[in-house]
Amino acid sequence: MKTTTLFMLCFVVALAASGQEKKRKPSAYNQQKQNKEDEKFLEKQWWLGFKAGPNLSKAHVVKTYSIIAPTNYEASTIGKKYDNFNLVGAQATIEVSFYFKRFLFSFQPTYQNSRFAYSNSFVWSSESDLTNRVELNFEQEQKLDHAILPLIIKYDIYGNRLRPYVQLGAYSAILINATKSVTSSGIDNAAGGENVFQNEPIIVGAKDLFAKSYWGLLGGLGVNYNLGNNVRLNLDIMYKYGMSNISSTENRYGSDRLSGVGDAMDDLTLDNLSVSIGCLFPMRFLSSGFKSLDH
Amino acid sequence: MLKRINTILSIVFVFSLMLSCSEESNPEFDIQTFTTIFDNNKFDASFFPIEMRQTADGGYIVLGGRKLDDSNFTGIYLLKADKFGNFVKEIEVEETSVNPVAKLTEYQTKYYFFCMDPLTQQAQIANVDANLEAVTITPVQGGLTYPAAASFVDNSFILLGYNNGDKQTVISIVNPDGGILSSKGYSIGTGEDIEEPIIKHYIRTGRQYPFEVGKVSSNLYFFNGFFNYTFSLVFTDMTSDDPVGVVQGQQADGGFSALTPLGGNKFASSRFNFGENFLIPNKELSTSGITSTVDLGGYSLPELVPNANVRILRAKIDTENVLIYGSDTKSKQIGLLFYEEATGTFISSRYLGFSNPFEIASLTQTSDEGLAVCGTTYVAGRFPRICIFKLSKEQLASNLNK
Repeated sequence: MKTTTLFMLCFVVALAASGQEKKRKPSAYNQQKQNKEDEKFLEKQWWLGFKAGPNLSKAHVVKTYSIIAPTNYEASTIGKKYDNFNLVGAQATIEVSFYFKRFLFSFQPTYQNSRFAYSNSFVWSSESDLTNRVELNFEQEQKLDHAILPLIIKYDIYGNRLRPYVQLGAYSAILINATKSVTSSGIDNAAGGENVFQNEPIIVGAKDLFAKSYWGLLGGLGVNYNLGNNVRLNLDIMYKYGMSNISSTENRYGSDRLSGVGDAMDDLTLDNLSVSIGCLFPMRFLSSGFKSLDH
Repeated sequence: MLKRINTILSIVFVFSLMLSCSEESNPEFDIQTFTTIFDNNKFDASFFPIEMRQTADGGYIVLGGRKLDDSNFTGIYLLKADKFGNFVKEIEVEETSVNPVAKLTEYQTKYYFFCMDPLTQQAQIANVDANLEAVTITPVQGGLTYPAAASFVDNSFILLGYNNGDKQTVISIVNPDGGILSSKGYSIGTGEDIEEPIIKHYIRTGRQYPFEVGKVSSNLYFFNGFFNYTFSLVFTDMTSDDPVGVVQGQQADGGFSALTPLGGNKFASSRFNFGENFLIPNKELSTSGITSTVDLGGYSLPELVPNANVRILRAKIDTENVLIYGSDTKSKQIGLLFYEEATGTFISSRYLGFSNPFEIASLTQTSDEGLAVCGTTYVAGRFPRICIFKLSKEQLASNLNK
């Protein structure tokens, strides 16, 4: 919903900008002179834009932690299984870029909502009575809201109406909010039959369980399409590679509700693949009529 | 242009600052704070802790009990965890020794506890090294039976037992080799009824009574046990046939549920009375004559389960002497209540555990001035397992509002 609203906003702004363009037909001499001025002018430009879209996340385990310590079976049998690139999050970005000879130096503050999940399961059984068996499964979903502050260098591979680019950069992420939900379900065969059950999910605010900030590197590609009316439409694909731990090492066991069900956060880095669509507007104009010379 | 460069440099500076604030793995945090539940995947297995001690390597040794298939008594279970709370080793001691009792005592690099022979009910003294390499069990001399509680004072153990032949509660001084230095018995009364709760305590089919034993001064000992038809706190010089003093309970339905000497005749204690619980953080008790626990008052705590298990720890938090009471709440959590030792004034509380039931077993102040709480949790709501909560020094300090 947020994404759609932002995209609509971009579209409306694009239409408004288009209405301000004044069209003239220059003479041949003036055209030549103008082209030289244009080339010089086009060497640098400031751009302002908005973009938004969905994202998928992947958690890398740096060090695993567990409340449950097995005494007579392998810990790997109850290990967490991460469900990567499966839960859709969303992000919205304001882009401020400075263009200089095909390079763009870009600052793109982003509000990012990312989601990832993991599961683990436990089995208790009796060797003497096979009906005495209980299986318990836990599904844990994390929802994280971060303010992402990336510094990016883009390079326009090809300069025309369609301008594909590649980008590299680094980012810092500041935690805004976090929640965790734990759903437990299982099969109890000891009650005289197969009792399949699912408990109400435990949903807790989990801001203390995550690091206040983390950082990472990013790379990606995208394409700008010049609408010819001072507006560029932008499709941006970005992969953010987390470099530092997103979990709080100090507050790992800070939630009694989660500890009670045997959950402790691993030390993790978080990767994020995002796709954004938006638009860019030039901030330097050749004339008072908002002519930017962007073809 | 200069303004723009300044803006860009400011962004880069703030960005660099944020990168430097990223979360680093810190093993110290993993030592200071953790929660561990030691799980066994056998459906029929049942483990519960009795007492925990921190070892010299920063790890923990837990004396516990386990369900036996072929005995009415409780088997002996020992568990070693490292300083991070990770499982290291366990020993299920052979069934020729059963019924382990607190306290688990460190003496000359070994950890001692008492247990008994399931056939003769004779008391045994056991020791184990900090790494659980070997358990040594020796019969206590003198025919002492049914050990109920022990403490360690002046390089000797004070052992409380029960003699079901003479129907006596017996207090003895035992050296670490199992030799008896002195012993004195006190009648619990006559008749089957009075013995029934004691036997049910040992085979764990009835109430687990808070037996205690210790020393108040150079020639004054105490025990919390059955005497003269009543669960009482008895003071004795271990020479006279009659006790020096008795603080009577209410037959089997009232008495002290925990007791810690504070010096002189002062005690931190708690009492139960027909299901109700009262905490008495600092009170002078009469060590002579006959008095009653009912007259001691105390803070009533309806949040606790009826006749709750209570553990009391004298702790030092920052520079303050604090009493930490640990008990079981009706909400199935472990409740910790903090009181000033000098005045008995309530400071604050903290609750541990959620979702599954948790019950208190042992409180230990750790070498890093934190607190380790050992208890029983019921994994999946049904399987009794041992758990450890480790709280940091800072977490404890927060309970003093610092």
